[in-house]
Amino acid sequence: MTSFNDTRHLWALGACLAAVGLVGMVVRREMVPDDFGTKGPYRASALDDIAAQPSLFQADATCHACHASVEHERAGKSHETVSCAHCHGLAVDHVAMARRGAEDPTVTLPPAAEWDGDFLTKADLYISKDRATCLSCHEAVVGMPADFKKIDVALHLEEQGASEPLSRETCFECHGGHDTAP
Amino acid sequence: MSLFELPILPTLGAAAAGGCASGGCASGGCGTGGCGTPSAERTSENSRREFLKTATTLTLGAMSLTLLPGVTAGDDMLPLPPPGGEGHVPAAKPMYGFLIDTTKCIGAGKCLTACRVENSVPDGQSRTWVERYVHYKDGRVEVDLVPETGYAGSGEVQPAAEDVLQAYFVPKLCNQCVDAPCNQVCPVHASIKSPEGIELVDTERCIGCGYCVQACPYGIRFMNHDTGVADKCNWCYHRVMRNEQPACVEACPTGARVFGRIDDPDSEISKRLATVPTNVLKQHLGTLPLTRYVGLTDEVT
Amino acid sequence: MEFHALHDAPFIFPNDAHPAWSIMIVLYPYITGMVAGAFVVSTMYHVFHREALRPVAHLAVVTSLCLGACATLPLLLHLHQPLRAFNVVATPSPTSAMAGFGFIYSFYMLVLLVDVWLIFRPAIVERAATATGAWRGVYRALALGVVEITPRAAEIDRRLVYALSVIGIPAACVLHGYVGFLFGAIKANPWWSTSMMPVIFLTSAIVSGIAVLTLLYLFLCQRSDIEPDAECVRSLSRLLWMFLLLAVVFEAIDILHVAYEREEEWHVIRALLSTKLRFSYLTLQVVIGSILPLLLLPLPAFSGRLGAGFRHSIAGVCAVLVLVQVAAMRWNVVVGGQLFSKSFRGFVEYPVDWFGREGLLAAAVVLAMPMVLLWGAMQILPVWPPSPESESGAKS
Repeated sequence: MTSFNDTRHLWALGACLAAVGLVGMVVRREMVPDDFGTKGPYRASALDDIAAQPSLFQADATCHACHASVEHERAGKSHETVSCAHCHGLAVDHVAMARRGAEDPTVTLPPAAEWDGDFLTKADLYISKDRATCLSCHEAVVGMPADFKKIDVALHLEEQGASEPLSRETCFECHGGHDTAP
Repeated sequence: MSLFELPILPTLGAAAAGGCASGGCASGGCGTGGCGTPSAERTSENSRREFLKTATTLTLGAMSLTLLPGVTAGDDMLPLPPPGGEGHVPAAKPMYGFLIDTTKCIGAGKCLTACRVENSVPDGQSRTWVERYVHYKDGRVEVDLVPETGYAGSGEVQPAAEDVLQAYFVPKLCNQCVDAPCNQVCPVHASIKSPEGIELVDTERCIGCGYCVQACPYGIRFMNHDTGVADKCNWCYHRVMRNEQPACVEACPTGARVFGRIDDPDSEISKRLATVPTNVLKQHLGTLPLTRYVGLTDEVT
Repeated sequence: MEFHALHDAPFIFPNDAHPAWSIMIVLYPYITGMVAGAFVVSTMYHVFHREALRPVAHLAVVTSLCLGACATLPLLLHLHQPLRAFNVVATPSPTSAMAGFGFIYSFYMLVLLVDVWLIFRPAIVERAATATGAWRGVYRALALGVVEITPRAAEIDRRLVYALSVIGIPAACVLHGYVGFLFGAIKANPWWSTSMMPVIFLTSAIVSGIAVLTLLYLFLCQRSDIEPDAECVRSLSRLLWMFLLLAVVFEAIDILHVAYEREEEWHVIRALLSTKLRFSYLTLQVVIGSILPLLLLPLPAFSGRLGAGFRHSIAGVCAVLVLVQVAAMRWNVVVGGQLFSKSFRGFVEYPVDWFGREGLLAAAVVLAMPMVLLWGAMQILPVWPPSPESESGAKS
């Protein structure tokens, strides 16, 4: 018959494996986040972590909250859907300071910077009346919808009888800004 | 009425989606079918799902579980709005949708910069991009990528307009598949299907194996060079949670990108879905995308 | 999708420019395949009683263990967050094919480890009694403190080894079939997405295991100045020929099926095979790695007239060719699947570096590691040369 002596090595093996398994289970417990699975099969606080990312791109409503007159100027015009940020930058600092200024009158807003050729990447405020701003959308490109206003600059200027040298604000001079005419 | 509750609906293609996209035929079907109590339907649906989930969890071995992904993830939520109609109140758990109108995109690339800045996407990788399809009169179809600052001033040689039969832009972003292959393959639950149906990455749990990148049929996911974890378009989840529009939608000057609640029949997206035929990308893969397209051609992959 | 678009007007999705999986993911199924294959060879002796394989039976199971110990190495080198690797067992996703790895691999390694321990326990116990100094302690520890073997215990161990070998066969099949499933279940990729993938991976795994053992056996015999056992080499060659035939047939069925149906994905795959994979697929995998050994292997496997030296040389050459075939197959699957964009409109450049965590040098180290471990195992256990007594000791 089988005695304990015959299976002693198997008990030793079993004890070793059980110890490894136990350590593994303890470590595993430690590795699972406390809030794992409370909302779904994931770390629940991950949703809050991701939602905490700051919004950089300002909605037009943010701008209009202070610049109500601009909202009126743009209402119903062809560029109503064009985001403020296109011509004025993301203005993150500007908005942040304006919000602080609402509570603390000593905070004053710095003047808008000169546009330097980058779209939508500047955290500060700028004012661009540069024609490059206009052409970044309107320069004729194959693929544009038929009903979109496409501009062949040379042709357009010739039609309008404009002469060289052109100023940077050529488009703005005829078409205006917030209340752009077609 | 149960027919309209099936998640198979969006795979029916342009005709079905265009005809009964959001309000139209669904509410019509409701009128006769008497589906005034969608909540009851939902509850039973939920409990069945819970049961299936428990059953699958109890099944031993991951191999066998992989055979049932459709059961665990497939019928999680409707990609189209539930039957609306008189006195419809948006559900407590909002459901979002994204509509891309290729007939409005001008290829200016504003959305691209906006996304890159908003989400600190590293150079050379993209959460969203815009493709241009040019059909030539000789039958060739060429595709290129819209430069991030648009074609204007990019110095790219444009196709000669007289050779072109038809050309259009197709913005790409996460499809937020209802049955998302990327979520299915993630080994560590770092892929999260949020309660709103938006696919997120838990950057603290992700082990950087890259399996989700391989599994996404749309090339949306990437291993972020800077963070060393998977990254993807999440419809600007942080903005959506603040009731803001995604950055790309905010930046689009022409309304080619429409985002909103598809469970609210008064939202712009619901109205558009109800009136325009829409399609999804790679419909044959059965991923049930929430991102829908107006004006998609066969050439778009 | 137009075929010519791949060449004439390529367009790739921006994120496809950087393939997510490096050559480490080529090595992973290569090594795991040898793990499963080598084990299958040992079961041919332990379970199916192929007496001719006695000289390699113990070598096979130890080789399998050494390879298995290194199977996670390429994965860890590949992971962008290797410190989080244990998340796979902490919060495994039941829907993920990859999450199964932690459990399947652990179970298989457990079976293998206990199997090896029981097989070599007589030797360990003997050395624990005869060794001196620190080695005595090492062997006592390896014996888990139990330094005697009763006749009844030996009988129990024999039965356990048999049982573990039986359990190990499906475990090895699952281990490698699962690796194939990992690729075969990716519907986003037409080059991977086929239900044949697990079968192909499994048969080529067995093939690579037999090949690596043939080579090891011939190499070790030469080093120890032992005449290779003719029946053993013949038996290995026969197994190799049969499983290679199966592997090649399955691979051929898969590709012919896609080629004949000519669905959308075929346009991509045809372009792939005729350009980027022309050398590694057609030349290496098909001609040099499959057709050549299939033609040559009958010499050592079935011929009764040729000289032993010649037959053994041919067997060795074929083993090398087959290892090239399997390596090429892994490369063609893993890398080939990332050589085209999911736009199906353009090819992607696949960068291979010499240096770095996922470079060729690191790959060479990973491939050498199991052999270093095997050398180490041979120093402390009587793996080689095969002694008739210890062999029969563990046989049921």
